[in-house]
Amino acid sequence: MANYLSPFQTIKSACDRLVIAVEDVSDLWPSVKEGFEQRLPFQKACLNNKTRNPVFVEQLPAEFILTTDPRLRSRFPQEQSVFWFREPYATVVLVTCEDLEEFKTILKPRLKLIVQNDEKEWFIVFVSKAHPSNDQATKMAKKVYAKLEVDFSSKKRERCCKLDLHGTESIFWEDLESKMVESIRNTLDRRVQFYEEEIRKLSEQRFLPVWNFCNFFILKESLAFMFEMAHLHEDSLREYDELELCYLETVNTPVRQREFGGLDHGDDQAALLNPVFKPLTQIIQDDSFREFEFRQYLFACQSKLLFKLSRPVEVAARGYAFIISFSKTLALHENALPFCLREAWVITACLAVINSTSSHYDGGVVAPDVEKEFYRLQGDLYSLCRIKFMRLAYLIGYGVEMERSPANSASLSMLPWPRPAVWPVSSPDASSEVFAKEKIILQANPGAKHFDIQRKPLPLEPSSLLREANRRRASLSIGNVSELLDSRHSVTDGSGADGVSKFSPSSKTNPSSMSRNFSGPVNFESSSPSLDRPMRLSEIHVAAEHALKRTISDLDLLKSLSTLQDFEQKYMELTKGAADKYHNSCWKRHGVALDREIAALCFKHGNFDLAAKSYEKVCALYAGEGWQDLLAEVLPNLAECQKILNDQAGYLSSCVRLLSLDNVLFSTKERRAFQSEVVRLAHSEMKHPVPLNVSSLITFAGNPGPPLELSDGDPGTLSVTVWSGFPDDIALESLSMTLVATNNVDEGVEAIKCSDAPVLKPGRNTVTLALPPQKPGSYVLGVLTGQIGHLRFRSHGFSKGGPPDSDDFMSFEKPTKPVLKVFKPRPLVDIVAAISSALLMNEPQWVGLIVKPMNYSLRGAILHIDPGPELMIEESQMIEIEDYMSVMERMPQITESIALENVSSISTEKSEQLLLGNGKIALPDWASDITTVLWFPVRAIDDRMARGTSAVYPQRQSVVDGMRTIALKLVFGAFHNQIFERTIAVHFTNPLHVSTRVVDKCNDGNLLLQVIMHSQVKASIHIYDAWIDLQDGFVHIGKGDGRPISSFFPVVISPSSRAAILFSIRLGSMTNEDEVPTESILNMRYGVSGDRNVGAHTPVSANPGVERELLFKSTLILQRPVLDPCLAVGFLPFSSDCLKVGQLVSMQWRVERLKDLVESPRSTLNVLQDELLYEINVNPDNWMIAGRKRGHVFLSTMQGSRVVITVTCVPLISGYVRPPQLGLPDVDDANISYNPAGPHLVCVLPPTLSSSFCVPAAA
Amino acid sequence: MERERGTLSPQASTADKIARSHTIVEVRVLACKVMATTACFIIVSRNDIPIYEAEVGSAMKKEEAAHQHQFILHAALDIVQDLAWTMSAMFLKAMDRFNDLVVSVYVTAGHILPILMLLHDSRNEDGIKSFFQEVHELYIKILLNPLYLPGSRITSSHFDTKVRALARKYL
Repeated sequence: MANYLSPFQTIKSACDRLVIAVEDVSDLWPSVKEGFEQRLPFQKACLNNKTRNPVFVEQLPAEFILTTDPRLRSRFPQEQSVFWFREPYATVVLVTCEDLEEFKTILKPRLKLIVQNDEKEWFIVFVSKAHPSNDQATKMAKKVYAKLEVDFSSKKRERCCKLDLHGTESIFWEDLESKMVESIRNTLDRRVQFYEEEIRKLSEQRFLPVWNFCNFFILKESLAFMFEMAHLHEDSLREYDELELCYLETVNTPVRQREFGGLDHGDDQAALLNPVFKPLTQIIQDDSFREFEFRQYLFACQSKLLFKLSRPVEVAARGYAFIISFSKTLALHENALPFCLREAWVITACLAVINSTSSHYDGGVVAPDVEKEFYRLQGDLYSLCRIKFMRLAYLIGYGVEMERSPANSASLSMLPWPRPAVWPVSSPDASSEVFAKEKIILQANPGAKHFDIQRKPLPLEPSSLLREANRRRASLSIGNVSELLDSRHSVTDGSGADGVSKFSPSSKTNPSSMSRNFSGPVNFESSSPSLDRPMRLSEIHVAAEHALKRTISDLDLLKSLSTLQDFEQKYMELTKGAADKYHNSCWKRHGVALDREIAALCFKHGNFDLAAKSYEKVCALYAGEGWQDLLAEVLPNLAECQKILNDQAGYLSSCVRLLSLDNVLFSTKERRAFQSEVVRLAHSEMKHPVPLNVSSLITFAGNPGPPLELSDGDPGTLSVTVWSGFPDDIALESLSMTLVATNNVDEGVEAIKCSDAPVLKPGRNTVTLALPPQKPGSYVLGVLTGQIGHLRFRSHGFSKGGPPDSDDFMSFEKPTKPVLKVFKPRPLVDIVAAISSALLMNEPQWVGLIVKPMNYSLRGAILHIDPGPELMIEESQMIEIEDYMSVMERMPQITESIALENVSSISTEKSEQLLLGNGKIALPDWASDITTVLWFPVRAIDDRMARGTSAVYPQRQSVVDGMRTIALKLVFGAFHNQIFERTIAVHFTNPLHVSTRVVDKCNDGNLLLQVIMHSQVKASIHIYDAWIDLQDGFVHIGKGDGRPISSFFPVVISPSSRAAILFSIRLGSMTNEDEVPTESILNMRYGVSGDRNVGAHTPVSANPGVERELLFKSTLILQRPVLDPCLAVGFLPFSSDCLKVGQLVSMQWRVERLKDLVESPRSTLNVLQDELLYEINVNPDNWMIAGRKRGHVFLSTMQGSRVVITVTCVPLISGYVRPPQLGLPDVDDANISYNPAGPHLVCVLPPTLSSSFCVPAAA
Repeated sequence: MERERGTLSPQASTADKIARSHTIVEVRVLACKVMATTACFIIVSRNDIPIYEAEVGSAMKKEEAAHQHQFILHAALDIVQDLAWTMSAMFLKAMDRFNDLVVSVYVTAGHILPILMLLHDSRNEDGIKSFFQEVHELYIKILLNPLYLPGSRITSSHFDTKVRALARKYL
């Protein structure tokens, strides 16, 4: 069966769709062909898949072929069983007949003959040519069709349908289509069954010697192909998968040594997507196929089906896995394959998969996960391709130009060298190329790391290429030379640069000189590398290049390896591709690693802008995730880019970031280089000075312990700990700090400047800041700002109290501790008067002020004292200050001091005398925290004399009279910023309040005057003497001086109690002289004994030893008696009980002389006369007077003489009326006593009815 | 960089992911074994910050290896982030390969704990798993220290000693 392979391939390529045979019995095909072919391809054909489940095929292509066509006729019958898939899947029999007889005799037998073959799926299409208008023909056609149906259709299956050429029945076409699809389905099922049976039979023989994989393959692929023709791609794919499994099983049985393949020219180009790359007949080997080609063929078939199924993602996934596994297979056969065929194949395979999947992937409606997966696979493919490409480039000497990044190093140094059977040897005539390579190696600019960073370069090779290549030269004897080479080279082994150390200038020239040592110019010029001489590196490169040119047939790949520029272009393309795809798939870490490579190449090409952008991306990721080792590797490059681009802001921030990396990542020298860069830039003339964020480098914290507490309005000094991450001292131009109120964020913060320009040492520094007065609230440290040179920097970095740890990202979440608390305004001090009771007026008295600091120091406080009007401070006296004790504590001492008549005998522990200067005193330091009492002498001035009052009509004295005020201003606080102002009222009073009353009026005209003294002060008053200077009109009895009996003195009046003194006086004569006092004055000599803590006390005197008697004067007002009656007027009762209108009534007054009017000055004229003028006052409307209203009566001047005045009068109206009044116009009212007084009103009755008044009108 | 994905298939329903989002780990331990006797072990906190790293092996230490290991482990976080939410197991063995090296990951439960990852070349899965579990225990003890700020670098020398001892025992 193996020889079927060739025809099988031919047949397969020739047939691409299902065939439907047309048996044109009545030559009808040309007329119906068009209509039939319009139905193709079948829409929504329902077929059965391999598991007999219905599958709807959207577009099923098919082809109608006449049975007379040579394509169907010329087949050999024996082929049919294997190549059955190409046989017609249905047979359409086209007939027409218009005559029943003809049908019976001719057509029916013929049809029977055609359809007798059971294996065919057939059905008959009866074509009626009859025109609808021709009834006869139509009827006949119907009859014939009916007959046809009877003969060929069965109950099970309708095998006939009728086509009216002139009709327009769409039903027919649907019917036809369903019949055709049904036939195809049935045929397909049968054939599938057949193939399966065949395959099963073959499979059973798999372990027999007769087993032939080719036969199995033909059967299996036939089935697969049939499914593919029927558009059952899933089933087809499954067949290929099974085929692959089966093949791998055969290949892996180590029974026979088979050829692997891959030795042909062009095999380096992967054909994993091209099934027709090589005809299968070429790769047949014994009873099977060569693995190299056949596995690619199978994969190509699978991927073709997957693309048809619109599953490019799966192609990528399978492709990646296939490339990996196939690469491993290639590695197994590597010593038989051309040099580096494996690498070349992987490169081309990856690119092929990438290209084809990209072109098939329309990014349509796929789940985001799938899309990501797709991009990830593409990224992996690109990445794999890139690595292999780099390996090839390295072999031909471009390694010196490659970036030795961790990504490249990790990939390449763990990838073993190719293991050809024999390492290629450079041809003798390639000396010029060797020179060129050597030149490249020598000229390679080992881009010194920026900032003179010394690092061992990362390797790009698993082991030294020099050693590996020479070791693998079969011709080289394992002798001393290679041993020597090994041992010598081990010095630089792992330095990563086959002899050229890229990064270390010191060892830069070593390798080349070493290679010269081995080869020597003489040896070299002797051309052909002798068998015993180890190759030099440049020779290895040249040899590899030659070998690769032989291996690689892909022109594109060859070109990209031909020159350095081409290599870099391709390298960039691959790297960018990988990076893009990884970024699309959200594998940012993979993507970023490749971005770094892009940046490195851009940098190399002088494209610093792009390089900086890419480096920034890389740094951002590494910094964000805190992988400092990786960051430390990239960041210097970024800094260099920024430096070249003159991006000062970026460069500075990169330097700062470098400085803030972990100490162990850079040596002190390197860190100093970073710092010097920062300082250099800061002091240079920057066009646009930029603010710099040094949060990671300079951190700060408040001092441990409780926060600084200040009262509102107080300035203070805040000390802040600042950690500097600079390796050296750094001098700052200024440093300031903002405080942020925790309760109020809106408010603008003000920076507090450090007074001096600090120099920050590495590590911990303490900086003190002078705080201006702050608003109340609690404050945390905000931002540290400062200036280095012209450079302003700021730091937000809080430190938790240790050295800055930039790894610790959670430190930002730490609640910050308040460093400052400013309390709300509160009373800081209180000053009150020490006494509440009154002091003595007009005498120097101690006023006490209790100065009470409230948790606030009064150190350095100054008290301004400003006495108000009518109050003066005795400046001659010292001011006393003593510590304060409460009244209760002092009470025993006070009692004692009163008893001893001391001002104050309270002995306190501390007391001091102060001098008042200019109205100010400074409080002593010892008094700054304790409550003290400040005593200072004042004198209240009151020019008015005290006034006594009558005890009968007491007059209250106004308290305000004795009130005096002292305005106080206390300036205190550390900066004299606090001011306390208060006005204190002090009450002054006279010691006594005097009231008088006349106790008794004696018969002899003497008066007993009682003077009551009411003590006004809380102190005992001793009265030593008292006398009254009487006013005019009063005289002392017995012409004395008015003093009481002196033996009564001294009188002691206790606080708030009263005492009285009796004086006997009498009325004297008035002198009417101007100089005579009109007021009496009480004089008293007295003394006071009291304590100043309580109230009034002994007046302050310059020499306290001498007790001074005080004089108190108070006016007394004595009034002479007001009434002095000379005449008494009495109203005599009416004679009748009732008064009536018109009735006469006599009114009588009795006038009696009580005493002589001698002393009355006004009545002097009348005194000589006995006549007394009287007058009746009456309302003439009410009364009619009978007689004289006014006249004189005689009254003897003798005391006791009396006279009665009678007046007759008639009341005129009834009612209550005022009666007539008797007046004495010549006599003063004060001299008249009405006794008994006349009535105010009298009742007058109406007149009695009298006929005499009723005069008839007629009469 | 021939890498094969692990046997894990990232297929989990959204509901499943959401349900597990509360239980999945914040802590990954990365351990990286470079040579048969060399392993690099890293604890990665949430935010993917390495908070502890150690070369836990007896082999000669290459200076350049540190960079490569860091790079490999960092790149493996890409896969961890994809897989951690789709897998219910805490121990994700061999979830990434880098040539001969294998990255194993131990994803601890809880929100404040880190993710553990291991890169190694040995196939001693049981040992690695035990190693992870014990280190997890150790980490929890560290976490109980009130002076340790979760998420910050582990600087305890005691922890370091213990981890190295465990590595000798299991790897």
